[in-house]
Amino acid sequence: MKNNKKTILEIKDLKTHFFTEDGVVKAVDGVDFKVYEGETLGIVGESGCGKSVTAFSIMQLLDYPGKTVGGKILFKGEDLLEKSEAEMRKMRGKDIAMIFQEPMTALNPVLTIGFQISESLRMHFKINKTEAMKKSIELLDKVGIPAPEQRVNEYPHQLSGGMRQRAMIAMALSCDPILLIADEPTTALDVTIQAQILELMKSLLRDFNGSLIMITHDLGVIAEIADRIAVMYAGKIVEYADKKTIFHNPSHPYTFGLLTSIPRLDMEVERLNVIPGIVPNPLHFPDGCKFNTRCKFATNKCREEEPVLNELENGHLVRCWHSDKVIEEAKKIF
Amino acid sequence: MNRILKKLFSNATSLIGIILLVFFIVIAVFAPMITPPLSDDPYQIPRMSWDVNPQPPGSSMSEDMREIYLFMEKDVKWDKAICGTAEGGYDIFYGLIWGTRTAFKIGIITVFISMLIGIILGSVSAYFGSWIDEVLMRITDIFLSFPFLVAAMVLTTVLGRGLDKVMIALISFGWMGYARLIRGSILATKEETYVMAAKALGVKDAKIIWKHLLPNTIFPVMVQGSMNIGSMVITAAALSFLGVGAPVGYADWGQMVSFARNWIIGSPGNAGQYWYAVFYPGIFIVLFVLSWNLIGDTLRDILDPRLRGEL
Repeated sequence: MKNNKKTILEIKDLKTHFFTEDGVVKAVDGVDFKVYEGETLGIVGESGCGKSVTAFSIMQLLDYPGKTVGGKILFKGEDLLEKSEAEMRKMRGKDIAMIFQEPMTALNPVLTIGFQISESLRMHFKINKTEAMKKSIELLDKVGIPAPEQRVNEYPHQLSGGMRQRAMIAMALSCDPILLIADEPTTALDVTIQAQILELMKSLLRDFNGSLIMITHDLGVIAEIADRIAVMYAGKIVEYADKKTIFHNPSHPYTFGLLTSIPRLDMEVERLNVIPGIVPNPLHFPDGCKFNTRCKFATNKCREEEPVLNELENGHLVRCWHSDKVIEEAKKIF
Repeated sequence: MNRILKKLFSNATSLIGIILLVFFIVIAVFAPMITPPLSDDPYQIPRMSWDVNPQPPGSSMSEDMREIYLFMEKDVKWDKAICGTAEGGYDIFYGLIWGTRTAFKIGIITVFISMLIGIILGSVSAYFGSWIDEVLMRITDIFLSFPFLVAAMVLTTVLGRGLDKVMIALISFGWMGYARLIRGSILATKEETYVMAAKALGVKDAKIIWKHLLPNTIFPVMVQGSMNIGSMVITAAALSFLGVGAPVGYADWGQMVSFARNWIIGSPGNAGQYWYAVFYPGIFIVLFVLSWNLIGDTLRDILDPRLRGEL
């Protein structure tokens, strides 16, 4: 059913590597996914698994030593990797916009909120200062900031954390982007503000006819907002399915581990599970499956041969040799 | 901005600096009224007599000099050298008053232009990095490797005498400090998320540098600049003293000190005989530089990023 929706963004075998003095860090190593029109894709994973790097690769905002070395980023059928820097700049903000993790540092302390919102409006639509300011006030009103006429002339330090994040959202939505990338938009906020921001994003998504890529490590946030979920581990997607499938039928041991390590209202457990071990050093990934050092299902095959992303059922992709065992185990719990 | 002005006025040292500066500004602005020029070029110090020896404060214009000015149909309102005359009968008081304009010209123009060059090169170098940074910074290093005074002296000698030549020389070897300073601040600031956020909104590079980076990084450069206004004036005076700066008779304090070179020690048994020849231009230079340094010092205290937390 979902497959007849229009594809907005298609990523094929994306490889982004960092060429450091100690060696090549394969931060993103062969990632594929699709984002459909009007849909929210959640990317989950722990710190350093490559989710933010994926986002920056889409925006083409990586500086030396990071470089996208392979793959395709098809935005409405056009490969962004083949675009010039000037063409990319015209698309940033207008077609693809981004919300950053820390509203404290993502707003310039010496410029007013109004200036920062109207800046991209003026650039992409060639409108004058007064019109842009008027639009900025409307936007601030839309994201639920009280007294926007006054706030528009204030500096970031005069706003609270939640309000700054609202202002960031207003900035990102100012030019009606087709694709919005939110890089952990709620991580730096406390829980009540998180809920408010999520609520706001959900309501804005309803009128905003674009698509959203939500990057987070917070499964609760993903459960709230995403339609489909990609779980990333060590630069690769390990499981990719719709929300229901991920939460009720996890088929990769990492997803399974993540789900059993968070408290759930619908389950009673004595003790929360932990995934043993640590994330492998990106300079020295283990042979075979990259999760084998921490996996309780690992066999010799896992240590020798890297599994491929294979389709279990319609739209449910898993990168594991033993997904049948994981499914069995999951059935006992969920 | 208001906060900065308030602090400048509430601090005793900066208040002294400001009072001195206002004093010099008043002198510079009203120079034509204080001492009306007697020749077509107002920066040419009029001569009170043909005497080789400096004449003491209060001496009047000699008769034959008065006749020359009357013949030239000049209105001689000013016929007393209240600060004395320098070697060759040049009126010291006139030189002090019009020299203030020269000092402001040298200080402000050289600092402004070299600051501009430094900011442009430093910010472009830091923002774009890679080979651009490498090339621009090596050029900066080459300029830095010349000793400032010697380089300025050689360049002025090559270009010839004149105040404009002095300024060109001072600018040519005075911009590197600003470039280094702004490069360092921008290297640190460009890693901030808001720069990335601006890029993600499609803001042009030039605009990111101008609107996002410079307002966050320019304060140390401004402090440096205000301090340098004083030292630029000193260097220009040094060049004039050494005889490669302003032409003879030009209203420039350094040039006036150079007039006094032969008279610093008076006649035998009366060492302080010609004290006025060196004292007046000397004290003006000292006070002018002091005023800028006091203001610069306070600006640094106010704009120090560590103290700016209260902003």
